[in-house]
Amino acid sequence: MSSVLVKGFTDKTAVGFALGSALAFGWYAYSPSFLPGLSAEVLPIAGAITLAGLTPLALVKYNIRRMTSGRALSMAQRLSALDRHAMVTIVNEKHELSEANDLFLEMTGYTRSELMGEQVLKVYDVAHRGLALEIRTCLQRGEMWQGETPLRCKDGSIIYTHSTIMPLFDNKGVWKGSISVRTDITRTRQLLAERNVAESLHELRDDIWIVRADSEKFAYVNAAARRRLGWQDNEVERHSLSELAMQPGAKAIRSACRRMIERNETSTQFEETLFDVPFHISIKFLPSHHNDGRFLIVLNDISARIEQERAQSDFISTVSHELRSPLTSIKGAMGLMLSNATGDLPDKAVDLLGIAHRNADRLVLILNDILDLEKISAGRMEFTLDDVDMRDLIREAQVANANIGERFGISLEAIGLDDPLPLRTDPNRVIQVLNNLVSNACKFSKAGDTVAIRVRDEGDSLRISVRDQGQGIPLQDQHKIFEKFADLANSSRTTKGGTGLGLSICKAIVQSLGGTIGFTSVEGVGTTFFFNLPKLEAISSEASNEPKLRVAS
Amino acid sequence: MIKILHVEDDADIREIAQLALGLSGDFEVVQSASGEEALLLVQAFVPDVLLLDVMMPGMTGRQTLERMRQIPALEKTPAIFMTARAQNSEVEELRELGAAEVISKPFDPMLLGDQIKAALKAYAET
Repeated sequence: MSSVLVKGFTDKTAVGFALGSALAFGWYAYSPSFLPGLSAEVLPIAGAITLAGLTPLALVKYNIRRMTSGRALSMAQRLSALDRHAMVTIVNEKHELSEANDLFLEMTGYTRSELMGEQVLKVYDVAHRGLALEIRTCLQRGEMWQGETPLRCKDGSIIYTHSTIMPLFDNKGVWKGSISVRTDITRTRQLLAERNVAESLHELRDDIWIVRADSEKFAYVNAAARRRLGWQDNEVERHSLSELAMQPGAKAIRSACRRMIERNETSTQFEETLFDVPFHISIKFLPSHHNDGRFLIVLNDISARIEQERAQSDFISTVSHELRSPLTSIKGAMGLMLSNATGDLPDKAVDLLGIAHRNADRLVLILNDILDLEKISAGRMEFTLDDVDMRDLIREAQVANANIGERFGISLEAIGLDDPLPLRTDPNRVIQVLNNLVSNACKFSKAGDTVAIRVRDEGDSLRISVRDQGQGIPLQDQHKIFEKFADLANSSRTTKGGTGLGLSICKAIVQSLGGTIGFTSVEGVGTTFFFNLPKLEAISSEASNEPKLRVAS
Repeated sequence: MIKILHVEDDADIREIAQLALGLSGDFEVVQSASGEEALLLVQAFVPDVLLLDVMMPGMTGRQTLERMRQIPALEKTPAIFMTARAQNSEVEELRELGAAEVISKPFDPMLLGDQIKAALKAYAET
C-alpha cells in the first residue's frame, strides 16, 4: 500500500474505520479460499477499486509489521497493485483534502503540499462544482456515491475518472469526511468518442470519400457513398478516382485534388453535379507522416436546397412582376397628368405629382434591381458573351450618363481610349456596371467636379476605374459598401434616387464575368471604384476554382 | 388612322393606353379584356396592329396571337407584346413568335404612340 496513505493515517481515523474495514480486510485475507487462483485480477475493476478504497489503511499500517506469512505478503502486494491502479483521496469533515496517494498526484500534476488542507473543490473545474456539491450532499446523508467525475489538473486540463466515494463516520456516527477511489477513464472516453465519430461518419447522410493523394485510389467510403457507387465493402480499395472520371462531377473532383497538390492548398469547395445529383463538394487534404496524404472528400446533396432556392426565387420573381401592373397604372396616370393630357394643373399639384412620379420611377428601379439580384443568385441571369472593344462600352456609358452628369453639373472624362481594347465579355452587363458606377460617382460629386473613367491594360485583364472627387466613403462604412441596402452615413439614396442595390449587383455581375471589383476612398478627396475583367473567357472554364455561379451563356 | 386592337386584362392599364394613344389623334383604338373576347371582335374589326398583353388569365397573349394567325385577314398583322417580364430570353421568344416589338411594363404613356409607329415602320421594312 502507498507509503503516503500509511504514513499519514492517524490512530483516531483508524478507530473510526474499524467497523467498516473489517469486512474488506476479511475479504482480502480470505479471498484465496473462495476465489482461488487469479480471481482477484479478474474481478471487475470497479469492484476491486471499491474494495481497495474501503480497505482500512490503518490496518495496513498495523499489520504490515506483522506481514511475515506468505498470505500477508500476498495481501500487501495486492494492495500495492490496487494502489497503483486507483487514485485515492481522503477528505475531512471540513471538505479539505487530507490524504492523496501518489497516483492521484501523478495524474493531477499537483504536489502533495499544494493539495493538503485545500478544499476538495480545488480539483473540480468551475463547470463541475455543481457535481461536487451534489456528491457532498449524498455523502452527508450517509450514502455512497458512484459515477463519473471530471477532475481539473494543475495545468487546467480535465481528466475523467470513474469514482466510488464512501462517507466516513466516527464511532458515534458523526460524519468525518469521505474516501474516494477513482480510475482514470479519460482514454476510454476518448476511444469511445472516436469510435462514435467513426460510426457517425459511416452512417452520415453525406457521401464521404477518402482518397490516397499519391495513387488516387480510394482508402475509404462511407455507407452512403458505397450505396451510391454500388460498391461492396471489400472492393473499395480497388477503385480509383480516375475510373470515375467519365462522370463530369468526378472529373472536377479529380482536377480540384490535383490543383490542391500543385498549389499546395489544404482545402477547397465547390458545387458540382455528380450522378445527376447536385452536390456541395468540400475537399480537405490530410497530410500524413509518410508523405502519402489523403483527400477527405465530403459530398453534400443540395437538391433540397436548390429546390427551396428555386421556389423562393420564383416567389420573388412573381411578386416583382405582379407589382409591375399596378405600377404601370400609377406611373402612366401620373405621367399623363404631368404631360397636361388631362388639362392644366395648379403648380403645387404639378410639384406633388412630380414627387409621386419620381418615386414611382424609383420603385420600378428597385424592382428591377431586386429581380436582377435574384436572377444572379439563382443563376438565371443571362450572360451573352461577345467580342467587344472596351472603348466602345466606355463611350456608350459616357453618352448614357451625360444627362445625369449635366443634372449634377459634373463633366465626364474618359482616359486610356487610344488603342483598341479587345475583350470577350457580355457588353450589356458591363455597361450596366459602368452606368451604375458612373451615375454613383456623379451623385456623390459636387457641381463643377470631374468624374474620370479610366481603362488600363494589365496583361491578362483590363482594369476599368471610375474616380470621383466627392467626399469619400467614411472608414466605418467601407466594409459594407457592397452589401444590399447598406445603411451608409453620408448616403443620399432617397434624394439622389439610388436603390441601395446597385453595388451589390455590380459585384455579382463582375464576379460572374470572372472578374474582381473593389474601391479606394479617402475622405474629403474622393473615391475610385475599379473592376478587372479577364481578357480571355474565364466563365465556366474548368480551371475556375470557384464555380459558384451558374452562368447561362 | 392606325387601327389598334389592344388586348389587356387590367382595366386601368387599358384606360391609360386609350388616353395616351388618343392624344395624337393618329390611332383608332379598340380594346378587349381577354383573348377570347378579342377573337370575337376581329370578326367585325380588322386592326392594322395587335397590341397584346402577355400574361392574362384564360388565353395568354401568345395563345391569342397563335389563334389570330389562323384568321386569314390577320395572318400578317404586326403584333406588339407588352410584358412585365421583359427578360432577354422572353423577348427573343416573343420575337420568334413574330412579334414586331416587345414593350416592357411599366411603359411611358407619352412615348407609347411613337413606339408603336416606330415598330410598324421597322416591321414594314423587313
